[in-house]
Amino acid sequence: MISRQSLIVAKWEFLRFFKWKQQLVSYLLMLAIMAAVALWSFFTDESRQQYRIAVPVGFSIENTEQFQFQRPSISLDAQLAQMQTDDSWHAVLTEQDGNIRINTLTGKKWLAQLEQLLQQHYRAVAAQKMGLNAEQLAQLEQPVSIDLHYLDQSYKGSERPEKMIALGALILLFIGLSTAFGQVLMSITGEKQQRVTEQLYAILTPQQWMDGKVLGHSFSALKAMLTSGLVMLLSFAVVSLFAKNRLDLSWLDIGVVLWLIPFALLGVVLCASFMGAIAASIDDPNNSGKSAVMMITWLPMVFTYLVIDSPAGWGMTLLSFLPLTSFAAMPVKMAMVEVAWWQPLLSLLLLLGAVWWMRRVAGRVFLRGMQMYGKEPGWAEIVRWALSNKAD
Amino acid sequence: MQLIVTAINKAYASVQAVKQVSFQINSGEIFALLGPNGAGKSSIIRMLVGMTRPDSGSIMISYQDQHYDHVPRRLLGYLPEDRGLYPDKSIEKNLLYLAQLHGLTKAQALTEMDGWLQVFELTERRHDELKQLSKGNQQKVQLIAAVLHQPALVILDEPFSGLDPINQEKVVEFLRQLKARGMTVILSAHQMAMVEKLADHMLLMAHGQVVLAGTLEHIRAQGQSQRQMKVGFAAAVSMEQLQQLSGIASAEALSGHYWLLTLADTVTVALCLQQLLQLAELTQVEMQTADLHQLYLAAMAKHQPGGAV
Repeated sequence: MISRQSLIVAKWEFLRFFKWKQQLVSYLLMLAIMAAVALWSFFTDESRQQYRIAVPVGFSIENTEQFQFQRPSISLDAQLAQMQTDDSWHAVLTEQDGNIRINTLTGKKWLAQLEQLLQQHYRAVAAQKMGLNAEQLAQLEQPVSIDLHYLDQSYKGSERPEKMIALGALILLFIGLSTAFGQVLMSITGEKQQRVTEQLYAILTPQQWMDGKVLGHSFSALKAMLTSGLVMLLSFAVVSLFAKNRLDLSWLDIGVVLWLIPFALLGVVLCASFMGAIAASIDDPNNSGKSAVMMITWLPMVFTYLVIDSPAGWGMTLLSFLPLTSFAAMPVKMAMVEVAWWQPLLSLLLLLGAVWWMRRVAGRVFLRGMQMYGKEPGWAEIVRWALSNKAD
Repeated sequence: MQLIVTAINKAYASVQAVKQVSFQINSGEIFALLGPNGAGKSSIIRMLVGMTRPDSGSIMISYQDQHYDHVPRRLLGYLPEDRGLYPDKSIEKNLLYLAQLHGLTKAQALTEMDGWLQVFELTERRHDELKQLSKGNQQKVQLIAAVLHQPALVILDEPFSGLDPINQEKVVEFLRQLKARGMTVILSAHQMAMVEKLADHMLLMAHGQVVLAGTLEHIRAQGQSQRQMKVGFAAAVSMEQLQQLSGIASAEALSGHYWLLTLADTVTVALCLQQLLQLAELTQVEMQTADLHQLYLAAMAKHQPGGAV
C-alpha cells in the first residue's frame, strides 16, 4: 500500500515540475513555429514559379505550367552568356552525341522536377522509335500490383493504420520516459545537493520517500504522454480537415488504447523506479557517469521497434512477456495482431511483480547510498543491495 | 520522555567514530553535545535519528509508558548538520510540505507556522522564495521546520552555526521556548557561551570518547584543577612578597594594585586570605570560576596527542 506520506511527496514532486503557464506558452510557441514553417514553405515553393528553358533545335516538348521551352535563335555561347547576365533563361538544354546536359547557374529544387519531365519526354521519344504507342508505354510504366495475403487471421497487416497506433505508443512512451529521466535525475540528485534528504529521512522512511518520488514523476511522465498524444491527435485532425475535408478517426482502436494505459502506467513506474535507484546512488551528478545508465530504460522501445514488422514472431513474443520490456512490446503487439485475452493479463501481472521489486530496490539503494556520506557506491555494492532482502 | 544511551560504539571502515558513549536525558531537558570537529557528535546524532545503527550498545526511549529501542520518527524533530530546503519554493510552501509530512493538517500547520514566524520576525516574508533570504534567515526557517509538529524530542546539529551574535541570541530564546513547551532538546555546538546559558546537561567529547559529562557545575568541578582568585590591595605589593607566601602557587600582575593569584593545592582560601592580609589591606577579593569555554579548551588540551589524559 502507498502511504499517505508517499502521496504527499508524489503531489509535491508532480507540482514542482508542473508549470502550466510555461507549458501553455511552449505549446503556443510550437504552434507558432509550425505556422511559420508552413508559411515559409508556401512562400518559397519554387514549383509555383515559371522557368524558361532554352532547348536545342529539333527538340520538341510541350510547355507546362512550370516550364516554358523555347528555341532561341542565338548561339549556345550567347545563350549561356545571357543566362549569366540577365534572367532570360533559367536553364539551357544541350544534346551532344546522345548526351543531354542541363546548364544552369546553380543548384535549385526545381531542377529535379525538370529532370523528371525530361526523363519522361526521352522515354516517350525512345518508345516512339521502338514503335510503341502511348497506351503501350503507359502500360509499361504502370507498376505491377502484388497483393500480400496472410493466412494467419490474427495478423492485422503491416500497412494498416494499426501500425500508426503501435508507433504512436512507442513515441509516447519515449516522450514519457524522457520526461521522467530529466525529472528523476534533477529531483533526487538536486535534493541531495540542496541537503534536504537528511531532514526528510527523519520524517519518512526511505521507501516512502522513494515511492513518492517515483509516483510523482510517473504522473509527470503520464501527463507528458497524454498532452503529447492529444497534440498528435489534434495535429492529425487539423491536417485531415484541411487535406480531406473530413475527420476520420476510424483507425483509432479504443480497445488497444485502453490496454495501453495500464501498460504505460506500470512501464513508466518501473522505469522511474530504476532511474530513482540509479539517481539515488549518484553523489554528485557533475562528476558521476552513472546518469547515462538511466537511458537503458529506452531500450525496450528500441528492441520493440526492431521487431515491429514481425509482431507474431518469437522476438516480439519474448519481449511482450519479459517484464522489463513488456510495457512497450505488448501494446504494440496488440495493435498489430490479435492476442488471446490471457496474454496481456499475464504480461501485466509479471510487470506488476517487476514494478514491486524495482521500487524496493530503489528504496534500498537510497537508504544505503545515504549512509555512505559523500562516498558514491560502486556497481558491485548497488547490485548487492538490490539483491539483498534485508529490511530497511 | 526519557532517553537512555548505553555504551554505544560506531566504526566507519577503520575509524572508530564513537567509543563506549553513555548518557541519559530526561524530559524537558536541554542536553548539549560538545567537542571539536570529528569528535563523534554527528555520529551520535545520526544514530539517534536512526540513519545508522550502533555497532554495539543500545538506545532506549520511553514516552508515555511506551518503550522503544530507537527514536520513533513521530517523536522526532531534526535539524541536520548538512541542511537545506527547497530554494525555489516560498517559506510557507516549504514549511507546509514538511508539516504535512509530519502529519499536520494544513490548518494546524498554518497556525503553528504563524507563531514561529512571528518569533523569528519572518511573517512579512512568508511568501518569499527561500533563495531570496539571507543565510541566517534560511537557518531560522530550518529551525521552524524542525519543531513545527511539536515533537517530544528535538535534535539540533549545530543550530548556531552561520548566525551572527544577534541571531544566535534569538536561537537561544527559541531553545528556551522549546524547553518551556516541554520539549526535550539535544544540540551539538561549538558556541560555548550559548551552551552555558542553556544546557541542563552536557557531554564533552574528543576522539569519539566522553571527556567530561554532567551539569555545568559538575563539569567545572571535574575540569577545573586550579583555584584562582582576583585580589586588590590598598597599597603596592611586589611579586617577591607574594611568592614567599606558602598559600600562593603563582601570581600574575593585573592593572594597578590588582593581582590574579593561583592558590596552592594544599591551602584553604581562609588561610590564604590571612597570609595576604599580612602584606596589605585588601580592597577586593573575587574567586575566579572557569567558564565553559575555558573548561572545554582545558579538557581538549588534555586529550590532544601528547596531552595528559
